Amino acid sequence: MTRRYVTAEDVRRANAGEIVVDAETVVTPQAALAARAAGITIRTAAGPYVEPPPDRGPDANRAARPHDLPEPDAESGGGTGVVITAVGRNRPGILAELTCALGELHVSVDNISQRMVDDYFHLALVVSLPPESQFEELKSSMECLGGADDYVVRVMHERVFRFMHRI
Amino acid sequence: MSFTDQEILETIRMIELETLDIRTTTLGIDLLDCADPDLESTCEKVYTKIVHHARALVATAEGITRDYGIPIVNKRIAVTPAALFSAASGASDLVPVARAMDAAAKEVGVDFIGGFSAYVHKGFTNADHALFESIPEALAVTEHVCSSVSLATTRAGINIDATARFAEIILDAAERTREQGGIACAKLVCFCNPVEDNPFVAGAHVGIGEPETVLNVGVSGPGVVRSAIERLGPEADLLSVAETIKRTAFKITRMGELVGRETARRLGTTFGIVDISLAPTPAVGDSVADILELMGVERTGAPGTTALLALLTDAVKKGGAMASSSVGGLSGAFIPVSEDAGMIEAVRVGALSLAKLEAMTTVCSVGLDMIAVPGDTQASTLTGLIADVMAIGMVNHKTTAVRVIPVPGKGPGETVEWGGLLGTGIVQDPGAFGCELLHRRGGRIPAPIQSYRN
Repeated sequence: MTRRYVTAEDVRRANAGEIVVDAETVVTPQAALAARAAGITIRTAAGPYVEPPPDRGPDANRAARPHDLPEPDAESGGGTGVVITAVGRNRPGILAELTCALGELHVSVDNISQRMVDDYFHLALVVSLPPESQFEELKSSMECLGGADDYVVRVMHERVFRFMHRI
Repeated sequence: MSFTDQEILETIRMIELETLDIRTTTLGIDLLDCADPDLESTCEKVYTKIVHHARALVATAEGITRDYGIPIVNKRIAVTPAALFSAASGASDLVPVARAMDAAAKEVGVDFIGGFSAYVHKGFTNADHALFESIPEALAVTEHVCSSVSLATTRAGINIDATARFAEIILDAAERTREQGGIACAKLVCFCNPVEDNPFVAGAHVGIGEPETVLNVGVSGPGVVRSAIERLGPEADLLSVAETIKRTAFKITRMGELVGRETARRLGTTFGIVDISLAPTPAVGDSVADILELMGVERTGAPGTTALLALLTDAVKKGGAMASSSVGGLSGAFIPVSEDAGMIEAVRVGALSLAKLEAMTTVCSVGLDMIAVPGDTQASTLTGLIADVMAIGMVNHKTTAVRVIPVPGKGPGETVEWGGLLGTGIVQDPGAFGCELLHRRGGRIPAPIQSYRN
C-alpha cells in the first residue's frame, strides 16, 4: 500500500491478514490500534513496521551541511572554544578550584582575566575543549562548583560571544 | 579566539539582568498532505504528522539553552491553515481538527500551536466558512490552539462581510470563556496582509509558499534595549538613541540567528527566518512602553509616542537586518497592551487611548493587540474597530492585526487578570458612537489604487 499515512480507515478497508507499507509510510496510532484489534499485521517489504525518521522535505538537505552560512569571524578559527565565567565574593583558592577541575578534564586554558569590584570578583576563562571531551561533561562538572553563598559558575560556548560581538 | 572582559560581561548581563531571551522557536509543519475525504482520518493524520515531526522540538530547544546559555522561553508549532487541509472532507464542523492539533501539542509539550486559520480576504470557500463557524467552540474546548484569519490584503481590499462575522465570533468566543475573562480571544487574531512565516502566536501559521517543515525564531529583548538607552542617559540626541538601538538590536538578533541555525541543524530541518520584533512581557523592565518613556515621552500615549515608536521600529529593523541571514515574520515592535507592564500603567493613568493605539499601528508591526473592551461591546463597533486597522494595513502595504478581548461582565476602567504571559487587561472604552450601518451594509472595501501613493 503506497501511502504517506495509513489510517484506521485504511486498515478497516484493507480486508486482509496483513498490510505491507512503504518504508517511508507513517502509520497513525489509531491505525496501529485498529490493526492490533483486528489481528492484522502491518509490515514493510523489509520486515516489521518501524516508524521512519521524519521526512523534513526537499529543502531540508541544506540543514545537514554544518555551518553552511558563514559564521561570524570564521577566518580566525574557533568552534570548540568555551567561555567559563565565575562571579562571587572573593576568597583564597577559587581560581585553584576552577583550574584544578579543568585539569582533571584535560582542558587547557587559553585566556584568563579577573576583575574586582569591592569584595566581589568576576573571572572569565576562555578554554579549548579537546576533541575527545564532551561539552556536557565540562559544563556539569564546572557548574557544580561554588554555591549560592559562594560563587556561581557559567559555562557557555564561545560561539554565543562570537555571534554577539563579531561581524 | 578571545573576547574582552567587557564583551563577556555584556553578554552575561543581557541574559542575567536584562531578560534577553529567545521568545519562541516555532516549528512550521505543512499539513496539506493530511487532506482526506474523511474528517476523522484527516484528524488522525494531523495528529500523527505533528507528533512525528515535533517530537524532538522541546528537547532540542532545551539542549540549545543548556549549551549556549540562552533561555528559549516558548516552543511552538505552526501549521498550514486548517481550512485548506480540511476542505477535502467537506465537513461543516472543524472542531475535531482543533482537538487533534491540541492533542498533538500536548503530546510534544509545546505551549501553543497556531494554524486553525483561514484566508478570507476576498471571500469564503465552504471550508473557510466551516472553520469560521467552528472557531468559538474550538478555542473554548482546546488549551493550546490559536486561530488567525486574513480579512484584508492590499491587493484584495477588506472583506467587510468576513470582518462583521469575525466580530460576532469574537463576542461568542469571549462569552464561552466568560469565567476566565474571555481568554479564548487571546488566542484569536485577524490580519491584513498576514505573513506566511510568522513564528509568534496567535498569528503563527505556515503559508502555502513555505517548505515541508521550517524552523522560525522570534527574538525578544525590550529589556536589553531599555537598559542600553538608560545607560546612554538623557543628554544624548535622537540620532544617538537610534544608533544605540540599532547596535543593541544587532546583538539581540544575533542570538536569534544562532539559535535558529542550530535548532534547524539539530532537527534536520530548514532554517526559515528570525522575526526581529521586540516582544514585551509583563515582567518589570521587559517593556516597550518603558523604552518609549526613556526615549522622551512622559507616558506612552502622550504626544510624541508615534514618532518615537517609528524611530524604535526602524532602528530595530536596521540592526536586525544586518544580524540575520533571513529576517522575516512581522519584524517590528509589538505593543500588546496587557502583556506590557508599562502599557498597562499608561492605560491605567489615562495616557493611552484606543485612538492613540490605532495611530501607533501605522508605524509598528502589529496594531491593536491584547486590548480589553467591555463585554457588552456591539459587534458592529468591533467591526469598525477591526476595519480601521485593516484599512491602515491595506493602504500602507503593511501587516496589521487586531487581537481584542471583550471581557464579559466588565465595563471601562475595570481590570481583568489573565495571568502568565497574557498579563493584566484594563478594559478600554471604545467610545459612545457606533457604526451599525457599516456593519449592516457588508460587502467589500475594494483594493486601493497602487500607483499614486501619498
